[in-house]
Amino acid sequence: MTMLLIVLLPFLAIGPVWFAARFSRNASFYVAATTTGLGLGLLASLVPEVMAGNVFVDSWPWIERIGLNIAFRMDGLAMLFCILILGIGLMVVIYAKFYLTEDDPIGPFYAMLMTFMGAMLGVVTSENLLLLAMFWELTSISSFLLIGYWRHLPAARQGARLALMITGSGGLFLLAGVLLLQEITGSLELSVVLASGPQILDHDLYWAALICVLMGAFTKSAQFPFHFWLPNAMTAPTPVSAYLHSATMVKAGVFLLARLHPAMSGSPEWFFLVTGAGLTTLAFAAYVALFKHDLKGLLAYSTISHLGIITACLGMSTKWATIAAVFHIMNHAAFKASLFMSAGIVDHECGTRDARLLSGLRHSMPITFGLATLGALAMGGAPFFNGFLSKEMFFKEAYTLSQAHPYWPDAEYWAWIFPVVATVGGLFSVAYSVRFIHDVFFGPEAHDLPKHPHDPPFGMWLPVAILVAVCVVVGVVPMYTAESFLYATASPVTGYDMPEALHLHWWHGLVPELYMTLVAIAAGIGVYTQWKKIAAIGDKLPTIVGKDFFESFIEMLIEGARALDRLVDNQSLQRYMAYTISFATLAGFMAYIEEGWQSGTGVQTPASLVSLVPVILLIAGAFMTDFFQRKRLVSLIFMSVVGLIVSLMFIYFSAPDLGLTQISVEVVTVLLLLLALFVLPQWNPVESGWLRRSRDILVAASAGIGVGALAWGVMTRQQQTIADYYLAESLPKGGGTNVVNVILVDFRGFDTMGEVSVLALASVGIIVMLTGKKPLYPNQVMPFPEERFPLMLTSVTRVLVPTALLVAFYIFMRGHNLPGGGFIAGLVAVVALAMQFVASGLDWTKGRFKLDLVRLSAIGVLLAVGTGLAAFVWGRPFLTSGMLHLHPPGIGEVHIASAMAFDTGVFLVVVGSLVLIIRRLSRYQQTMEVQDKAGGNE
Amino acid sequence: MAFWLEIVVSFFLVAGAAFALIGSWGLVKLDDFYMRLHGPTKATTLGLGGILLASALYFNFNPDVAGVSIHEVLITIFLFITAPVSAHMMAKTALQKHFDYVGGQQDPLNHPRNVHTIQEHDLSGMDESQIPDGDEEE
Amino acid sequence: MLEWANIIAIVMMTLSLLMNMWRMAAGPRTLDRVVALDTMYINAIALIILFEIYLDSVLYFEAALLIAMMGFVGTVALSKYFLRGDIIE
Repeated sequence: MTMLLIVLLPFLAIGPVWFAARFSRNASFYVAATTTGLGLGLLASLVPEVMAGNVFVDSWPWIERIGLNIAFRMDGLAMLFCILILGIGLMVVIYAKFYLTEDDPIGPFYAMLMTFMGAMLGVVTSENLLLLAMFWELTSISSFLLIGYWRHLPAARQGARLALMITGSGGLFLLAGVLLLQEITGSLELSVVLASGPQILDHDLYWAALICVLMGAFTKSAQFPFHFWLPNAMTAPTPVSAYLHSATMVKAGVFLLARLHPAMSGSPEWFFLVTGAGLTTLAFAAYVALFKHDLKGLLAYSTISHLGIITACLGMSTKWATIAAVFHIMNHAAFKASLFMSAGIVDHECGTRDARLLSGLRHSMPITFGLATLGALAMGGAPFFNGFLSKEMFFKEAYTLSQAHPYWPDAEYWAWIFPVVATVGGLFSVAYSVRFIHDVFFGPEAHDLPKHPHDPPFGMWLPVAILVAVCVVVGVVPMYTAESFLYATASPVTGYDMPEALHLHWWHGLVPELYMTLVAIAAGIGVYTQWKKIAAIGDKLPTIVGKDFFESFIEMLIEGARALDRLVDNQSLQRYMAYTISFATLAGFMAYIEEGWQSGTGVQTPASLVSLVPVILLIAGAFMTDFFQRKRLVSLIFMSVVGLIVSLMFIYFSAPDLGLTQISVEVVTVLLLLLALFVLPQWNPVESGWLRRSRDILVAASAGIGVGALAWGVMTRQQQTIADYYLAESLPKGGGTNVVNVILVDFRGFDTMGEVSVLALASVGIIVMLTGKKPLYPNQVMPFPEERFPLMLTSVTRVLVPTALLVAFYIFMRGHNLPGGGFIAGLVAVVALAMQFVASGLDWTKGRFKLDLVRLSAIGVLLAVGTGLAAFVWGRPFLTSGMLHLHPPGIGEVHIASAMAFDTGVFLVVVGSLVLIIRRLSRYQQTMEVQDKAGGNE
Repeated sequence: MAFWLEIVVSFFLVAGAAFALIGSWGLVKLDDFYMRLHGPTKATTLGLGGILLASALYFNFNPDVAGVSIHEVLITIFLFITAPVSAHMMAKTALQKHFDYVGGQQDPLNHPRNVHTIQEHDLSGMDESQIPDGDEEE
Repeated sequence: MLEWANIIAIVMMTLSLLMNMWRMAAGPRTLDRVVALDTMYINAIALIILFEIYLDSVLYFEAALLIAMMGFVGTVALSKYFLRGDIIE
């Protein structure tokens, strides 16, 4: 339960944090800080048990069928990461309050930060792999939002997009990997997966699962070649960079590697892929970092490089390498976050991050200078700092590997590459650390900086100080502070296969790794002194900029898709319809030919002559709709006839609801089409020659015959229909005697709910589409000034519209038991209101009908969904309906079904959306109305 | 069912239907738009009124069928109010569009007898405040 | 006798419908077609009422009422379209 709370707390804080920003910036800050603090407190309650070696697993079933459960696991590794996320999170929350200016909206910032925090906590504590993949994606999305926080900067938008694309695709690979693991081990739960290590390694799918999981991890942790999104993400505000892109989110990838280490490591594939990627990244990124002028860019590449160290350690898979990896995770988070924050301080106070412009800041910003120097010393691996310890362990393992290489028996001549690359990486690491400090803080004082530099407020350097203090303490006295902690956190990663005790000293004697470190330090300083010359040579070489390469790749894909589209699509609606209908008809006729078409043997009721007449009228009407198709208005009138006759036929066949609906929809259609027809040409031009028209007639006729034969065949065969069930169950289960209505709002209520949502969305979409547009072919409004609102019509509608609305209400109320219902009532209300619009005009009616229609439709949708959700309160499935039996005095017994609320929702949506559409369409016409000298138009 | 009731109801049914038929017949046969307008709007509406009356009598006084229904009255009232209005609208439209009519090949708006009562306002010289606005009702 | 009267009435209304359709097909101007449409709506109401008397059921009155209302609105909208072009101003 505690773990669920830890993960849920930041999500619950999203709303309050955002809302509190309305009162003051401080309010938002306090909410965010309190939430993080609470999370830390809850975590602290679990820490003693976890340190003792216990593992907590909590699980609640969710979607059993796909194996997804809400399950959390707290062991050493998860505890470490939770401390990182919550601890550094708290630091960042404090730092951000002072960093963000008055112009930056703080509510959304903290809200997004909380989202990220919760998602990251979910990733590290997740016991169910599918749940982990879900939280993983959520971190990608929240990272995207945070990187693009300064939306007005194009670089920020591009950086955010790039990050999302890369980490998102990695997430897809991760999902594939998780599903493959489920296939191999039969379960998504970590307890099972972690115990089935040998089984996974032997399986045929191991290779595929490994690739997928590694893709996920490498994209997230910015390993070569997927590293280029991280430097571009530096357009985010510095608190974001300090939190996401140094301490937590990019660590998610190595967390995944660490988590699945017992399950998937131990094979040559793992070794080569992971260690190879790690070492390449380490060296490459460290080299590039030296030459970056932007401080944050330097730190970004440094992050990539250190992640390479962690990855390489995890790849080497020996006990000590794994311990080194976990140790470096801790250390790197501490010093890198502090360095990012220092860079942010410099940026904030001086107005620039360019190392070429900055110099001599040690005089004007002494506190920052001190803290940054300590952090940089940790980063470079200087003795007495925590970075030194973990780097030493890394060097030792690299050296050991060169002597004893289990996966590569004949490789004495090649294995020296490991320690060499490690040393080179360490070398450049020292070089850029020195550069970071020397270029910025030493040298002559700069005088042409945008702002006057001074030390930042207390709240900005306090988090840095805390983190730096951790680095120093762990570096000086690791045996008292870090040993037991490291033991507990590294145990799960090694599969509980730990050496008896960890002795973290900073002096092991004159061992190879010490020599490597000394070489790295000396050579690093040497390289730094010459770096300008090296940079000059480097400038002459061609550069591959990863981001440009990626962008041009995407461009190529889009261009290819467009070319394909142009080939197939010529935007002609007639062509699409012709293809669709002819293929469907052809497929249908194939069935007839193969099976043979026979008329069924059902009893046929003889048709009286009188009932044939509407049929003849229907056919005649439909025919003339086509015959007059060039004159659009006439065609519309015949369509009305068709609608009327169909409604009559529904009534003839005892379907009054359908008849009601049909006639209402018919007239609303006519209204909408008339509104549209006003701004379109009144005549259809002759579009095609005889040949094409004959082809079209052929296609249409064959389709009609085919469907008619199908209908005949179905209707003449006796069969058990679903009608019997509904007729029997409508009253007992649905609480109403009108079966059609009960089906709509109760039995198939889910469907109706979807449809009203679509209607609401469509109306909003129409409004948005017509915003700012003008008609292409306006008709001039005929200039008879006194005839705008004929008096007779206006007077009659005064009486009729309220009556019509009353009829609508009546139809609504009785819908559950007699023909009627929410939808029909809504349509009648819409027609009544449209009548009012026609008779008295938009402005007059709007002045008296002041409801916000968008809100009305939204309330309707919420009512419909809410009625469904209300069933949860009684522990029933979604959209179970209930009956209320009331006994109001004087009226007697009243039964109300809860479907009435649902029907109200439907009613509101129909009224809101359709009136909105009608109003918007008529406003659209008015943009082009011609001013005439009578002044009758507006 | 009482015999006298049956006779009355039947009478109204047939009479109503006959009126409707005559109205539609007029719609077909008459030569001119304005003439054709009379048939449906007067005769058919009256015929429908008769049928509705028959239905009202049938459903209210019939001991075999339960309940009182006033729907027919509502429909009748509704129809009697709206049918003239729709006829009015159509006639107005025809007038404004200068439909030809039998008996005079003249636009009724310009017929010498009508010139004084129906005038097209020449508003070019008028002051803005004196031009009648369409929606002055409230 | 009532049944016979009913049937005669239905036959007459059906004939009216057919005649309306003729006018709709043949009307030289579009406004003639609109008049025919309006009349068809009214005849349809009559047909429904007659049908109800035939079946002895009271379920279809709302349909008749609705057709009356909708027919009116449709006709008025079409006329206003002819009158001014812009039906909602």
